[in-house]
Amino acid sequence: MQEILSKLYDMTALGGFSYQVAIMWLIAFILLYLGIRKGYEPLLLVPIAFGVLLANFPGGGMGIVPAENITLEGGRYKNLFEIAHEYGIMNYLYYGLIKTGFLPPIIFMGVGALTDFGPMLRNLKLAIFGAAAQIGIFSVLLVAVLLGFTIKEAASLGIIGGADGPTAIYTTIKLAPHLLGPIAIAAYSYMALVPVIIPLVANLLMTKKEFKINMREMDKLYPPKHKIKNLKALKIIFPIVLGVITAIFVPSSVPLLGMLLFGNLVKEIGTATFRLADAATGAIMNTATIFLGLTVGATMTSDVFLSPKTLGIVVGGFIAFAVSIAGGIIAVKIYNLFAKKKINPLIGATGLSAVPMASRVANEMALKHDSGNHILQYCMASNISGVIGSAVAAGVLISFLS
Amino acid sequence: MQPFNEALSLMVVGMITVFFILFSIVLIGDILIRLCNKYLPEEVLEIKTKKSQSPSNNTHAAIKAAITLATKGKGTVTDITKI
Repeated sequence: MQEILSKLYDMTALGGFSYQVAIMWLIAFILLYLGIRKGYEPLLLVPIAFGVLLANFPGGGMGIVPAENITLEGGRYKNLFEIAHEYGIMNYLYYGLIKTGFLPPIIFMGVGALTDFGPMLRNLKLAIFGAAAQIGIFSVLLVAVLLGFTIKEAASLGIIGGADGPTAIYTTIKLAPHLLGPIAIAAYSYMALVPVIIPLVANLLMTKKEFKINMREMDKLYPPKHKIKNLKALKIIFPIVLGVITAIFVPSSVPLLGMLLFGNLVKEIGTATFRLADAATGAIMNTATIFLGLTVGATMTSDVFLSPKTLGIVVGGFIAFAVSIAGGIIAVKIYNLFAKKKINPLIGATGLSAVPMASRVANEMALKHDSGNHILQYCMASNISGVIGSAVAAGVLISFLS
Repeated sequence: MQPFNEALSLMVVGMITVFFILFSIVLIGDILIRLCNKYLPEEVLEIKTKKSQSPSNNTHAAIKAAITLATKGKGTVTDITKI
């Protein structure tokens, strides 16, 4: 009888329960609450949170094992069948879809098919502020190195400042895969907190007069030199040319940017490729999002997540975000010192990715100060260039450090 | 100091690259706009105009037919104004 009871006890998860597991469950429940109840990036936060839960069910065998477990002699790896057999289905998915760097570019293809380069093409000069807003990535890289992170870990931490989930995940897979869970969580959490972080930084750095700079009035005073006569043709040519240029100068950014531009091209061609664009934004992107979320969440086992480095990532990620926003705002302020045609510094604040939430937040802030000051289209220009900027920054980090 | 120096040089190279690529985008975008304006006719606008005319004609015909039917041929349409 005692033997049967002992076997029954072994069958349950009670034997493997510890306070670390309880903390991880609590973190998963908080993330689920934020995703479901508060609506913070639910499409990714809910799968990630559930992945955390799955990985931390003692005896469930769904947690991701360290890469050393699947490494063989001579720098070779176990094949996927062996991984599935020894470590279960979640490790099969992780090492097949994430470790190979497969899913982030697939999601980028869908993002491309949802992106409209029109606002950027209409306000080309504003694209520069998408570059200025990448300063947070490199500033935090410097600080993190001083705090004791290795340079690869610091680069993965800094990329949170790009405010682009797939880019952050792709860079971390390449440079510091052991930090994938906390970095993905920090990236998506701060992206969800864009409506809080942008106003915080903008109110600190901007004057009331700057909030009221009306872009439409500026356009009337100083109209653009060339009006676009055939936007459809331009939108089809643009991703092709841009793809060639980035491939020449930053080839390591091609997996992300190339797929983004391909997705955009099939969308812009129109009815002839509608089915491809529909698949990229629908079934393919949704499936990729599910597997990405679950497997990234499953990397967060208690022994990996509950370390001082996680706290560093949470704090460092926030600083990277804030510095990126500040970088964009300050760049516009400097531009305004020398230019006749003034630009609302909120447009600089949207130079980080987080499309289109950052633009919406900036537009609402401008409308608060002047009900007729609609800046959404202008913000989208720097916002979209921010996506390109963060992918290029990721390409630079990967090519120098991997 | 070695990792710090490496991070510093990465910062300089990274920011220069990002600015260079986005400056190139501005420049090439500008060139593409000029080329498109010069060599590609405004097909989209023409098609739009044609399309906008045909439904308008259909609408006129439908209104006229409805009036004829309702007034049993006694009424005529002299002017249609969109409110």
